[in-house]
Amino acid sequence: MSSELDTFWDAVDAELARYPMAPELQPLPMRSTDSSTTYAVRLTSLGPYRIFGYYSVPKGSARAPGLLLTPRYGSVNHVPDYHDRERYAVLQLMHRGQRLADRPFAAEYPGLLTLGIHSPETFIYRAIVADCMRGADFLLSRREVDLDHVAVQGDDLALLTASRRAGFTAVQAHELLLYRLLEAAQVTDEYPIEELNDYLHTNPDSGPAVQHTLEFFDPLQHAPRIRATTLLASGDGAGDGPSGGGWLQPLYQAVGGPSEIYRLTHNGAVDHDWMDAWLARQLGGQPRSRFLEPV
Amino acid sequence: MATAARIPLGPSVDAIAARSTEAVEVFEIGYDSLDGVRIAGWYCVPRREHIPPPYPGLLLVPGYISEPTLPKSWAKLGYAAVGVAPRGKLRSNRQYNPGYPGLLVDNVVDRNTYAYRGFYVDAARAVDFLRNRPEVDRARIGVHGSSQGGALTITTAALRADAIACGAAGAPYLCGMMDAAGLTHSYPYEEINEYLRLYPEREQAVRETLNYFDGINFAPLIRCPMQINIGLRDDVCPPETGFALYDALGCEKTLHPYPNCAHDAGSHWEAPRIVEFLARHLQPAGALVRA
Repeated sequence: MSSELDTFWDAVDAELARYPMAPELQPLPMRSTDSSTTYAVRLTSLGPYRIFGYYSVPKGSARAPGLLLTPRYGSVNHVPDYHDRERYAVLQLMHRGQRLADRPFAAEYPGLLTLGIHSPETFIYRAIVADCMRGADFLLSRREVDLDHVAVQGDDLALLTASRRAGFTAVQAHELLLYRLLEAAQVTDEYPIEELNDYLHTNPDSGPAVQHTLEFFDPLQHAPRIRATTLLASGDGAGDGPSGGGWLQPLYQAVGGPSEIYRLTHNGAVDHDWMDAWLARQLGGQPRSRFLEPV
Repeated sequence: MATAARIPLGPSVDAIAARSTEAVEVFEIGYDSLDGVRIAGWYCVPRREHIPPPYPGLLLVPGYISEPTLPKSWAKLGYAAVGVAPRGKLRSNRQYNPGYPGLLVDNVVDRNTYAYRGFYVDAARAVDFLRNRPEVDRARIGVHGSSQGGALTITTAALRADAIACGAAGAPYLCGMMDAAGLTHSYPYEEINEYLRLYPEREQAVRETLNYFDGINFAPLIRCPMQINIGLRDDVCPPETGFALYDALGCEKTLHPYPNCAHDAGSHWEAPRIVEFLARHLQPAGALVRA
């Protein structure tokens, strides 16, 4: 798989490189504060296709640590959090199909997860990963970013982006979707994973093709190329199922750089503060809690 | 609501074979709401051979940026379940599409055209959709959601107090909105802070509008049993506003506060308690009801 994987993704990279990034930044006074300036960013990705991002830069420092937030699964991504905007040059990317990057292609939910899944060449995630790589290219090209401290945060897309771009010092991944997806689909009927079950139910002969496609997008296959310090947030349940503590062990062991697993406590504030502090350590920043004590 | 009541529902129900299973039938639905906006949703019902009707109805209401639930797993438990997409959400955004961010402050200086005027009605009319279905027992219709879904649980239970049998609201949003904006920098409330940074002279008009849409002001209208869960370190919907909502409820009520939780509001532990609460009041045939 390794050489086939490299050939596939090298071709994606080569195709992406043919399109100038053509960045276009527009200040957004509404989303800017005394401590940070936020821009709407438009970039060209595969296709060519114009994608969107919110890019925010702290005021008053020559260079800031960089943070790429890869898109969540869904039509909307928030503007980066206020506390992240104060500390980092942070880019929240919208991949093609999501709001603000939904012309001419508007993604359907449910539906996106299996779009073109019969082949790795047609699977929508080929282009979505390219969109994330283009976002990384943008962030890593910015003069205001401290290139010794750049992280990527998100789901599988963060891991795939870190595997394809060497400029990241840290990667933090949680709520993985493409990781061992066929196995995960066997033990749930909740969306979005249920989309895959719907597809297999409707296309009963497609199992081998779907398995072949997903191998190109499973972060497990990409992990050996990751050199950034990696944190994986894991469930704490018993057993080796998707919510179990052992689910991410193969991925953890496959990561090519230093890696660790954080076992979620499911106390959201505790988990957020821990992961925020981890990221701040990697980026040379100060930890922040989002929860404001009343005054 | 009187204006809305004069609008024929015009429901449509289209089977989606690709997402149906041996146990559950899935439909894409639509109905008309205020301002001529067509509202979309998903409707899931148990197959008759799996669980025979009548079914309790369950309305699942979405969060601010989340997609409407396709509630197959609830139908497996024996509910006729609707996941609704109020105006501006995907499939309900052809005529109205303020965006995210954007919805919370769209026309926020005018209560007659403010975004949530139609949004609240869109959710409430899903109850009418359920009441019009022959397989649904009209006496057993519940509502559930978290965050904005928690807010819509409150407003729907209030606006349709005649029709809702119980509600479970997690981390309820849109309660004490102006106070909440002062307690957090997290979205969506940060939209209010951003708006007032740009237009400070409009604060009084914003405050007056939001009073008409504040879940705390809807709470006294609710007559059915309600279960509320909140995170005591919630940066998105500050817990102070959840307590204020709970205090304003005059119905049978239960509060589950989770000390170290944020906007998750203890969902890891609360999820089975919600299933049990809804089953106790709505009696679905497929759910195990604890004595």
